[in-house]
Amino acid sequence: MAATKGQSISVSLASATCALLGGVTPAAVQAQEEPGWDFNTSLLYYGEDADRVQDLSISVLATRTFMDDRALTMGLTVDALTGATPNGGQYQAVPQTFTSPSGNAVFTVPAGTLALDDSFRDTRVAVSANWTQPFSRLYTFDAGLSASKEYDYMHLGANAKISRDFNQRNTTVSAGFAYAADSLNPVGGTPTPLTPMADVGDLSNRIGDQDKDVVDFVVGVTQVISRNLVVQANYSFSDSSGYLNDPYKIVSLVDGITGDVVPRTPAPGLQGPSHEYVFESRPDQRTKHSLYGQAKYYMNGKVLDASYRYMTDDWDIDSHTVDLRFRWPVGERSYFEPHLRYYTQTEANFYQVGLVDSVPLPMYASSDYRLGNFDAITAGLKYGWTTRNDNDMSVRLELYQQRGSIPADRLIGSQVGLFEYPDLDAVILQFSYRFGR
Amino acid sequence: MFEGFSESRALTQTSLVLDHRHRRQELELKKGNFRTGAIAALCALLLGALPLIAGAADSLQLSDYRGKVLVLDFWASWCVPCRRSFPWMNEMQQKYGDDGLVIVAVNLDNDASDAAEFLKAYPAEFTIAYDPTRELARDYAVEAMPSSFVIGRDGTIIESHLGFKVAKTEEYEAAIVSALRKQP
Amino acid sequence: MKIFVLVASLLVTAGCSSMGVEPWDRDVLAKDEMQLTTDALEAATDDHIYFSKEASSGGRGFGGGGCGCN
Repeated sequence: MAATKGQSISVSLASATCALLGGVTPAAVQAQEEPGWDFNTSLLYYGEDADRVQDLSISVLATRTFMDDRALTMGLTVDALTGATPNGGQYQAVPQTFTSPSGNAVFTVPAGTLALDDSFRDTRVAVSANWTQPFSRLYTFDAGLSASKEYDYMHLGANAKISRDFNQRNTTVSAGFAYAADSLNPVGGTPTPLTPMADVGDLSNRIGDQDKDVVDFVVGVTQVISRNLVVQANYSFSDSSGYLNDPYKIVSLVDGITGDVVPRTPAPGLQGPSHEYVFESRPDQRTKHSLYGQAKYYMNGKVLDASYRYMTDDWDIDSHTVDLRFRWPVGERSYFEPHLRYYTQTEANFYQVGLVDSVPLPMYASSDYRLGNFDAITAGLKYGWTTRNDNDMSVRLELYQQRGSIPADRLIGSQVGLFEYPDLDAVILQFSYRFGR
Repeated sequence: MFEGFSESRALTQTSLVLDHRHRRQELELKKGNFRTGAIAALCALLLGALPLIAGAADSLQLSDYRGKVLVLDFWASWCVPCRRSFPWMNEMQQKYGDDGLVIVAVNLDNDASDAAEFLKAYPAEFTIAYDPTRELARDYAVEAMPSSFVIGRDGTIIESHLGFKVAKTEEYEAAIVSALRKQP
Repeated sequence: MKIFVLVASLLVTAGCSSMGVEPWDRDVLAKDEMQLTTDALEAATDDHIYFSKEASSGGRGFGGGGCGCN
């Protein structure tokens, strides 16, 4: 599997752990490309509203196909990220001051606004390489490596996959495995989970670099149903272990009656947080199971691509994803492709709006909106065309919207009036250019 | 498990053709609109030879190739390995044509215009035949695209190959050479 | 969950072995737009974005289908 890999916690737009084999399949494996080069390039802009994350990304995926369907695919992605990300703090009727992740400064969030930490500017580079090797006519073997690096995060991974065709290649059974060894060195040092956010200059609760290992396993069946219909079903298993926290996210300590975040005074002469916050704590292990099904159906020149994925894990998160794309050719050389995606997830069993300060701290707690209960919709349109020199270009514009919720009985006191789920609105704009030989 | 299933299907087809030994097959040649008749001789290598039976007067008959080594290649315009097999088949036809090699490439496209486009990009110096009803493909139990059958001077199928791999062209050529050397 | 596993395994057994098309009928399946992953880079971009913003990731995309040549 090629293309962008690696994971960051430092900024919201973390890179995908594409060690998950589901990520990218080199085109050469199924379509029997001619020997030669194929370059797939893209320029991506991702932008959230209201001063939040913006990402500009350039990617190149180069495939060199050799005689008899062997292929080498190499990928390179460079991302530049700016913008602010929610740090887990809650809406309050008063301003809130937080110590920045480095521990060197503070930043203040106005009353009645979402607590955003904007101290990140980051560049990420990700590379990957994948080799496809058919053998014994009906078998194909793939092996790949991936790596990514950003300021506070590094990823290294390896993956392998084997496929076997049956029934005159109407049926393909595949199995794949991936391993990732990631390491984090958060700016200022890794905070010990559930320790308080400290005054400027106080790094006493910081520990050294942390590791995270991910093992992925996927099995799948692809079946040709008819001349116009092909379907696929996969089961995936993923196990992460090690440091799974976001080192820059906190959970607020709140008063058990009023629901307000407990105020705090920094030590004399120092700047520091205005309220009591503790660094989040997630389990050091996570097991995920996914079931995925996809169908591609050809209708007189138009193609419908429909897929569904169900995910469940031992953090009690369940999710459903439905994805629909419809390719509508225009003439011989161009097409429109509307896209609709619906996603819904339930919250992690340790997701908290805040922690009551008079109660002993639980072992795990996080206010990260990405672990909460929300629905998301993506609606987009892609337009693609073949250029005069027979290369492919496309542009797509998508709108992504996340809307979360929490049941009213989980809110205490003033939270009932103030709490808002950190909803997300983002724009995705991507240009692609594909050329070869 | 699944390979066994498709083998038994091929054997079933074989016995059907044996029962219909005298059935006439028709291949259409686009140029000049000849009606061709030919009987497909099908056997797995296990079953040995079947005679090719003459068809109508103005048709292309596989029995015409008795005494020559016939390579029957099934192809289609969307088959990417066929883009590599055509130049190689041109080479073979040129090299061994005088020794008695005849290559007939049977097209299995739904639409003959797709085949014509392919041939513009990859011209053939050997005979092209068209089997739009796919009767010949079924009789030969074509399992992969492309497939080729080396038929000896006596009309028996000597060898068949599934797919086309550049790494195996020496093997393919050796099969042709050994068929050419066999005395009928 | 068990039903899914059962259905998936049924697909690979007797049910699958009689389904499909003849090798010469794969013209539509050979088209670029009928591959299970049409644009690898777009798929990777989407995976990347949704992994960063949601709690689920990956799950998709393997080989198969296509022209079935060789």
